[in-house]
Amino acid sequence: MSGGSRPVEKAVLEVRDVSKSVIGPEGRLDILSNVAMQVSEGESFAIVGASGSGKTTLLGLLAGLDTPTRGSIQLDGHALEQLDEEARADLRRRLVGFVFQSFHLLPALTAEQNVMLPLELEGHADARERAHAALDAVGLGTRRKHYPAQLSGGEQQRVAIARAFVHGPRVLFADEPTGNLDRRTGRHVCDLLFALNRDHHTTLILVTHDMQLAERCMRSVELQEGRLVPMGEQSA
Amino acid sequence: MRILLLALRSLRREWHLPELRTLAASLVLAVVALGVVATLSTRMERGVLASAAELIGGDLGLSAPENIPRQFAVAGQQRGLSLTNTASFPTVAFAQQQSQLLDVLATDNAYPLRGTLLIADARGKQTSSHGPVAGTVYLDHRALIGLNRHVGDSVQLGGRDLRIAGELIQQPDGGELVAMAPRALMNISDAKQAGLLGVGSRARHNLLLAGEPAAVQNWRTWAQSTTLPQGGELITPEQTQERMRNAFDRAGAFLRLTALLSALLSGVAIALAAQRYARRKTSEISLLRALGTSRVRVFGLLLGTMGGLALPAALLGVLLALLLAQAAWMFASQLFSGVPTVLPILPAFAAAGMGIAVLIGFALPPLVRLADVPPVAVFRASVARRLRRFDVLYLIPAVVALALIWNLSGSAKLAGILAASLLGVAVVAALLAALLLWIARRITPGGHPALRLGMAALARRRGLSIVQATALSMGLTALLLLAVVAPALLDGWRKELPSDTPNWFVLNLQDDQRSDFNKALDRIGANQLNMMPLAVGKLTAINGHPIDTLTFKDERAKEWNDRQLRLSWSDDLPPANTVIAGHWFDPHPAQAEVSVDTMWRDMYALKLGDVMRFDVGEGQVDAKVTSFRHVDWTSFRVNFFLLMDPTHANVLPHTWLASFYLPRGHAEALGALSRDYPNLSLVDVDALLDRVREIVQRVTGAVRWVLGFSLLAGALVLAAALATSGQERRHEAALLRTLGARRGLLRIAAACEFALLGLIAGITAALGAMVGGWWLGRSVFRIKDFMPQPWPLVIAALIAAFVVMLLGLAGTRKVTHTPPMRLLRAE
Repeated sequence: MSGGSRPVEKAVLEVRDVSKSVIGPEGRLDILSNVAMQVSEGESFAIVGASGSGKTTLLGLLAGLDTPTRGSIQLDGHALEQLDEEARADLRRRLVGFVFQSFHLLPALTAEQNVMLPLELEGHADARERAHAALDAVGLGTRRKHYPAQLSGGEQQRVAIARAFVHGPRVLFADEPTGNLDRRTGRHVCDLLFALNRDHHTTLILVTHDMQLAERCMRSVELQEGRLVPMGEQSA
Repeated sequence: MRILLLALRSLRREWHLPELRTLAASLVLAVVALGVVATLSTRMERGVLASAAELIGGDLGLSAPENIPRQFAVAGQQRGLSLTNTASFPTVAFAQQQSQLLDVLATDNAYPLRGTLLIADARGKQTSSHGPVAGTVYLDHRALIGLNRHVGDSVQLGGRDLRIAGELIQQPDGGELVAMAPRALMNISDAKQAGLLGVGSRARHNLLLAGEPAAVQNWRTWAQSTTLPQGGELITPEQTQERMRNAFDRAGAFLRLTALLSALLSGVAIALAAQRYARRKTSEISLLRALGTSRVRVFGLLLGTMGGLALPAALLGVLLALLLAQAAWMFASQLFSGVPTVLPILPAFAAAGMGIAVLIGFALPPLVRLADVPPVAVFRASVARRLRRFDVLYLIPAVVALALIWNLSGSAKLAGILAASLLGVAVVAALLAALLLWIARRITPGGHPALRLGMAALARRRGLSIVQATALSMGLTALLLLAVVAPALLDGWRKELPSDTPNWFVLNLQDDQRSDFNKALDRIGANQLNMMPLAVGKLTAINGHPIDTLTFKDERAKEWNDRQLRLSWSDDLPPANTVIAGHWFDPHPAQAEVSVDTMWRDMYALKLGDVMRFDVGEGQVDAKVTSFRHVDWTSFRVNFFLLMDPTHANVLPHTWLASFYLPRGHAEALGALSRDYPNLSLVDVDALLDRVREIVQRVTGAVRWVLGFSLLAGALVLAAALATSGQERRHEAALLRTLGARRGLLRIAAACEFALLGLIAGITAALGAMVGGWWLGRSVFRIKDFMPQPWPLVIAALIAAFVVMLLGLAGTRKVTHTPPMRLLRAE
């Protein structure tokens, strides 16, 4: 089942017939069934669905955090299911950025240190300068030395966005990025995400149950009980 | 390198975390405990050897019944060693109407090379001296009394008149209980001129050597590979002061046990802290993994963090260990009469190695597990939690603990007992905790809401509660074992040397003198008389093969082949002896039988049924080995390596060896006794007894002092165990407070929870300490009839439960006093 039919540019993500099952206390549980979709470079793409529909599982598979039970996922031309965990980790480090619903900032690190983290893992000598630029870009240049506990929810998410963008990923995955924020703050965070998507030509794949947010994406699909249902196309 | 820098930065940021501080403190404590004990043991070992050298009068010696061939002295000189020649022999001294048999040591002016020769002048002023100059003699107090002479008078020895130049107060005496007395020291040239060392004399010639340890060892190796003169034997520090060595060995075992338990307790604290650290780091690691950090790099990061923590902590431990060992040595060195020994550095570093092994062993499983956290756990923490299952990694701490026990206990038996006790305690604690939790869940629904909450909290964290109860039990067991059982063990040990322990030995008592001598002892107030027959002979063959043709792995066998040995016999098994194989003699066996001490069994690889041939006097006896005995050589009783059956041994030429207790201050009375029985040799062991008592007292003090480490380690375990559930507890408390729970309710709930945990730990620990203590006392420390008192243990267990409850409450105090909003925001 396809979530869309208009590849804008070269496909950065191709999903073919992906299923995911887990063995639970009550036997086998199918979370995703025969999912197929394609996302192009620079596109913004929303996956919507009710709680428990498998959105986050799908996002994890797309980002190479987990492997499908069946099917194939190509990220920037790499078949994720054929790579071992270490190779997928390498791919994530180079190509992928994440924004989480619960921010996932490290409480012991300042905003600046949190943003520097992906660059430090890569061994960039200019990690600090680039982190400053990223924080300036999300409007938190004056809060660099603050710890997460000293920042509001919206500010924490902006730090998380700066961290996601700082190493220039090809694809940005966002899991309910406004889920923990009020409407107004959420809107600001979304503006930021879409601006970065537009300015840096970064593919944005987000999971949300917020229909208004989904409508701002170029395309969106709906997950219903682990199966994809097309929702049509909107203009960005 | 980059990973290391990241790890160090991470450590700097996380240093404030209590679990990392617990890890560091545990490591420091483990290194200090192991380091202090290892350093002290090494120093004590050197001290004992140096002390023994003092008693020999040199570092090493060679003794022979004839003049020692010159090649041995030349070999010593070539190795840069100092030499002295001495000869010991009995002779009768005359002074006017008096005569007295003396044990004479003839020396040159170089004597002694080690130790102190203390001489008092006519006014009683004591000075340390060397061997007397020609024409003079030193006599001890009993010789002066026996001959009715004073310092400055003359005495005739070997037909020569010698001036008494001083009273012999103390001399290096070889530490042998069977030395002769009263004593005299004369110049060896006088002895030669008087013909006392000529052909047919009963003199034993000695060559003593001293110098650099390596040179001494070199000479020793050379001498052992050379043919010794007929009847010659090496005089080594190891042979002397056997009793003192035993006292130190047992003390050393005790200290090592304490250090070992401290290290194991530190290990438990490390395991708990590492587990908590891993739990705290899970979300961070899952994020790092999601951001593309490989498992290997994550593990490297964790390892780097641990390394950055471990190295300074271990070095601090080494430093503290050396400082404390130095301080302790200043206190203990009096035992060795100021024998200087250099502070050994290596044992403390070895302890640091062991401490790091403990850290790695106990912290590795949770950290490896942590590196395995899948990246998808960034979305679902439950995925990471699912990974916490038992696997082979959790055997690593067990292996490290066993290696540590094996390494430190020095005996398979001690290692086995300790491992079995701790394992038993862990299993019982886990089962008991599971059972009580199961019961609690069923009986509490109708109870007070606070009780229900407390029990529910424990039951909800079932796995964690069982881990907490087990860790607490092991910690408390070690503490109870040491704090309650150790003093009982030490008491028992002290009681082994009661104040009326025999302090005099008598040699050469003849059959027809026994009855009168017994009465004479009664008159002067002596008691605790014990007499044993004594035959002197040589082992000449085993199973018909001449002893010279047999080869033995044990080096000591070669030395004993040429030595005279002492045989005795008894109807009953003497006290301080235990038959460990075979059977004690039947009343009238058809063939001569012999019971052999375990050292001789091992030395000659003897088996039950072997036949040993002894030459005694003019005759020969073949005795079948019918039993092996364990002999407690620390008992200060007359003991023998070889005991024969009385039926066959009574016919052997023999004298009697007696021991008795004479209260202090009555020694003058022995002067008359010595005159009445000039053939007897009376040996005073009061000084040696005092020394052993002093050692026991000081070592007991040291053990109590080292116990402090275990107490600290126990406290760390307690803190670490209680902290493991702190995060969950804070979250629950915040929720309950949000829902309107009063502080009092939360406190009572926490009190119920911790009291139950403490009770489980207390009961199990009391049982563990009881069984382990009994086992250790009987099997390792060989305290007779040792039984730990149950009541102090029960009381200690209840106190422990109460302390756990109080500490738990103290830990939750902050939680109950912090506004719930702040707690929830901090989550």
